[in-house]
Amino acid sequence: MTDHTHTETPAPGTISGWSLFAERHPVLFFTTPAAVVVFILMVFPVFYTVYMSLHSWFASSVTSPEFVGLANFKRAIMEDERFRNAFWLTIYFTALATALQVILGVALALLLNRSFRGKGFFRSIFLLPMVATPVAIALVWMMMYNPTLGVMNYLVGLVGLGPYKWASDAHLVIPALAVVDTWEWTPLITLITLAGLATLPLEPYESALIDGATPAQMFWRITLPLLRPTIMVALLFRAIDCLKTFDIIYVMTAGGPGFASETLNVYTFQVGLFYFHIGYACSLLVILFSLVLGVSLVLIKVRRGSW
Amino acid sequence: MRTLRHWWALGLILGLLTLTLASAEAAQFNWQQFKGTQLRVLLNKHPWQAGIEPHLKNFEALTGMKLVIEVYPEDQFRAKTLVELTSGASSMDVFMTMPGQEGLKYMRAGWYQPVDEFLKDPSLTASDYNWNDFLDKARDAMSIEGKLIGPPIQIENSALMYRKDVFQKYNVKVPTTLDELEAAAKALNGKAMTDDGQPGFGFVARGKRAAATSQFAGMLFAMNGTWLTPSREPAINSPEAVKAIDMWGRLLRLYGPPGSENNHWYEASSIFSQGKAAIWLDANSLFPVIEDPQKSKIIGKVGYAVFPKGPNNHPGGTVAPWGLGIPKTSKNQKAAWLFLQWVTNKEQVLKLQSEAGVLGARDSVWKDPKGKAKVPADLAVSLAEGSKVGTPFWNPPVVAVAEVRDAVGAAIVTSIQGGDVKAAADKAAAEMKRIMAETEKK
Repeated sequence: MTDHTHTETPAPGTISGWSLFAERHPVLFFTTPAAVVVFILMVFPVFYTVYMSLHSWFASSVTSPEFVGLANFKRAIMEDERFRNAFWLTIYFTALATALQVILGVALALLLNRSFRGKGFFRSIFLLPMVATPVAIALVWMMMYNPTLGVMNYLVGLVGLGPYKWASDAHLVIPALAVVDTWEWTPLITLITLAGLATLPLEPYESALIDGATPAQMFWRITLPLLRPTIMVALLFRAIDCLKTFDIIYVMTAGGPGFASETLNVYTFQVGLFYFHIGYACSLLVILFSLVLGVSLVLIKVRRGSW
Repeated sequence: MRTLRHWWALGLILGLLTLTLASAEAAQFNWQQFKGTQLRVLLNKHPWQAGIEPHLKNFEALTGMKLVIEVYPEDQFRAKTLVELTSGASSMDVFMTMPGQEGLKYMRAGWYQPVDEFLKDPSLTASDYNWNDFLDKARDAMSIEGKLIGPPIQIENSALMYRKDVFQKYNVKVPTTLDELEAAAKALNGKAMTDDGQPGFGFVARGKRAAATSQFAGMLFAMNGTWLTPSREPAINSPEAVKAIDMWGRLLRLYGPPGSENNHWYEASSIFSQGKAAIWLDANSLFPVIEDPQKSKIIGKVGYAVFPKGPNNHPGGTVAPWGLGIPKTSKNQKAAWLFLQWVTNKEQVLKLQSEAGVLGARDSVWKDPKGKAKVPADLAVSLAEGSKVGTPFWNPPVVAVAEVRDAVGAAIVTSIQGGDVKAAADKAAAEMKRIMAETEKK
């Protein structure tokens, strides 16, 4: 801040009022544009959504929004069967997908952390699914899952299983979707875990070797505890994303069969943009937001404490 | 230079005169009465739009009006018209509209200008327009709560498509009733029907929640069921409707491909066009998919027929038109009516149907050999016939169409899965009641 003294007396006519202002208040000057953008695009919509969630508004009629207080929330939680179904499906999908991804992702990272021929090549190959477009992935998987024309039934048939209805089966659809999400996002966990593995100290392993520890013991007692913070970060990312997964579910099943894969985000989309109940959709969004926030807070707490 | 300019003017006058005389010959009707008016026309990207656009300069020459055409892909088109109409200050004069989809919503909101008065007025409607030439139910479908919103421009029916070769090979009668339909589906299910002798399914159709309802509507009608009672109470749990839901689900469950509950028309069409099903109930306007050499293995092997009849020979099937409407906010409503009238007169409909294969709604055009040239012969016959008997209510006649379709679609899915149909129908009816109470309150 002492720098200011140098520029307090500029040559007249060379520095305009704006520059002078910028010179004197650099913090204000440089952060305002970003703050304005964030406010307009993020803060305002959040508060407007909360505001709209207290209203009833059927957008395609010519009536204006009507203030109804917490009635939307009451309806969602007490009366709306589809909401309850969507809520539990969201949690089911998230738990299943993140569990699969963390287990596979960490295993893959440990494998890729060893040195072998073509390691770089395999590393790149494993990261490819993450780069592909979700809608394209969804369409391809849907074709593979097709019970009549798809390749999945052929593949499981080779080992004497099936045929299954996959994404068309009310009981199989969530696992089937979780597999697609896992296929796409396991590499993210691998990537983060690999970074974590690179930073592990060697000393604990050396002393463990001297003490005669087995590889399994070294993994469970040293590697995993040291990796825990890293894995928790990866888990947090995936959990947040899974809770609000939309693209693959919407493209593959649109929530079907029936409502068997209608997660909160898919249901909210239907209510808001197909049924035009804007107020109710906003209240569903507020609930989804609270759910994501709650899960994140719990995970952050777990990361800091011990498990 | 001066004389040359005179010659130009003379030529122009002579040209206009010839045009006027030519049209005056057809009918003593003043097409020039709104000369100089500019019409703003919003169209959905669609075969009809692609077919009519090259001819619109003829309309401008005939009427001396100027057209400003805007074309958008379907999703954007719907959003754009909805936003403009909601604003209450739209400068649109004509827009494409699907009455079964948005009709009641727009009518209740007061967005349509009814055209009944224009149609009756001999100074506004040419004597050779012949409104009664439009197929019966296509006309009905363009009326909402007793008011005509405009002419239909393209139609389709929920109809029967079947494998002629398979029916012949196994000596099965082409079904004309629902009982025969089920018997045929049962008899042909599992029989060899692909090129390489693989077995196929007896029946395929949509089963995906909301998507299924528009074709199921044809069966609901055949069973003598309705969406609503005359006093606008949900009737989807009436005995007739329950029978229809039950049958749709049963056919797919017993004789259809596994996973039907997630099939939209494109999944169903790929199974059918791969030769893996004997019967497909869907919109007959989808025939280009089946007859496309790039995608289909059953070209020329498919028969087209009207939707099978229900008990007591009750007709089935639906009639779903796209049409044109005039918004209430238009300042050129009468001029816009001339446009609606010209693009749907016999000459233009015949042109579009014979050149571009657009399925028009005029009976006389379907009787004209040129009108049939672009479609399979039995499709031409069954489309004209189906459009005289089918129900225009391919969608529930409610304001919140999408939401009600999802509620009814859930019952259809339950039926496919072999669940309790009556309970599912009761639930759908209760949902319908709640949705209608929420969205149709005054």
